[in-house]
Amino acid sequence: MLNLIKKEISLCLHPTSFIFLAFAGLAFVPNYPYEVIFFFSGLSVYFCCVTSRENGDLPFTCALPVTKRDVPIARILTAAGLQCILLLLTGIAGALKEAVFPPELLFNGAGLSANVALVGVGGILLGVFNAIFFPLYYKKPEKIGIPFVIAAASVFVLIGASVTLRWTHPLFLNILNGGNSEHTGAKLLALAVGLCGYIALTALACRLSAKRFENVDL
Amino acid sequence: MNALSVRDLTKIYPQFTLDKISFCAKEGHIVGLIGRNGAGKSTVIKGILRLISASGEIKIFGRDASRHEYEVKQIMGYAGGGFRYYPFKTLFRVRKAYARFYPLWDQIKYENYLLRFGISEKKRVRDLSEGMKVKFSVALALSHGAKLLIMDEPTSGLDPLSREEFCDILLNLVREERITVLFSTHITSDLLRTADDIVYLSRGKMLANAPLRELLSSYSLAHFSSADQALKTKVIGLKPVKDGFEGLIPRKEPVPDDVSVTDADIDSIMIHLERENCRAESD
Repeated sequence: MLNLIKKEISLCLHPTSFIFLAFAGLAFVPNYPYEVIFFFSGLSVYFCCVTSRENGDLPFTCALPVTKRDVPIARILTAAGLQCILLLLTGIAGALKEAVFPPELLFNGAGLSANVALVGVGGILLGVFNAIFFPLYYKKPEKIGIPFVIAAASVFVLIGASVTLRWTHPLFLNILNGGNSEHTGAKLLALAVGLCGYIALTALACRLSAKRFENVDL
Repeated sequence: MNALSVRDLTKIYPQFTLDKISFCAKEGHIVGLIGRNGAGKSTVIKGILRLISASGEIKIFGRDASRHEYEVKQIMGYAGGGFRYYPFKTLFRVRKAYARFYPLWDQIKYENYLLRFGISEKKRVRDLSEGMKVKFSVALALSHGAKLLIMDEPTSGLDPLSREEFCDILLNLVREERITVLFSTHITSDLLRTADDIVYLSRGKMLANAPLRELLSSYSLAHFSSADQALKTKVIGLKPVKDGFEGLIPRKEPVPDDVSVTDADIDSIMIHLERENCRAESD
């Protein structure tokens, strides 16, 4: 598995995978729906899969001494590694912002503030993307557009829901919003729930993708 | 011992069926997989490599390929018709990623092949000619201690000298390291030069599976002045030619005195068996 992940990194990753990590810096932009940061991770996964198709990566990889079911798992784990870095960078950017900027600048007139609860929401968004995109993609790896549109649309619906809740629901409006120093316990709980959701949804993506890919003809 | 055993390999596509293909490759033998375009040669190879989900049993040195996929792929080397992967990557980068999967990777052997083939690792895949791509693919497949080499039209795109060189390499591998080779090809001169056994496919069915010499000695090529004359014999795949008709006759069958007979070569065996199979299917 480690060799497969190394192969993914050296031969399959699209340069945007690293560029989009820098989008965690959007957390410093005032009045911005920070949930959108996590959409870019899905976009880099899409670019990697397109590059993989153009490079004939799947037939090449499956002829190597690996089991066929490990091939999708390696790609999902590679994507998950980058997603975890994005979550971490977003969390760090939010903490830095809180430490450096005056409190009035922490107010977000769009979505949730850049805090650990946002990282939890990001975990759910990324997990949903993984659970939808990868199983659909590994059912027919030559068709990448449709799985991406379905997964991206689902993520945008959830982003919309998150932004709406931030203005309408007291939990999001008063407790999960604002800096990390306020309602820290609740925000950490939201982070934990988000990360658990991310792990569960990504594990589901691995399981379904591996099962479907075994029946694919390359 | 059989290095490769294929039993009842079946794959059903909407337009094509690979129908219960069974054959064996003995250790140290070179097996030629032949047939016209679309006969199912690549499907057989993909089935062995598990690139497609086909039914049937594949055993590599006695081990079931579906249950021991990782282990059997360690002792298999695969080379396609040319290296069609990662056109924008350098050979160095591809080799580095590839070699990691093989604990028995022999870097010196690999470098010797590159030197012999005149390939620089600094080049990108897209900068290689078609022939060079085949050679690179072969160099990768031969450098990790494989006991069974599977090659899908490895000599296509190679010039005659490179083909000769490739055949020499195969023969040396078999002679010195007792490696088993299964390769598909259209180029029958390569078969005559290297193959011990022939598996002949037509429209997804296996028409012949025999040692090359046995196959060649099984048939004679008969020339008939008229179709009526041909009908008096057990002719296979009768077809009109410039000055009459031509078909295969099994060697054990009696031949009328007025029919001229020559030795059948592999091309004529393929042509007439193919024709007979088409006729049988249309009936």
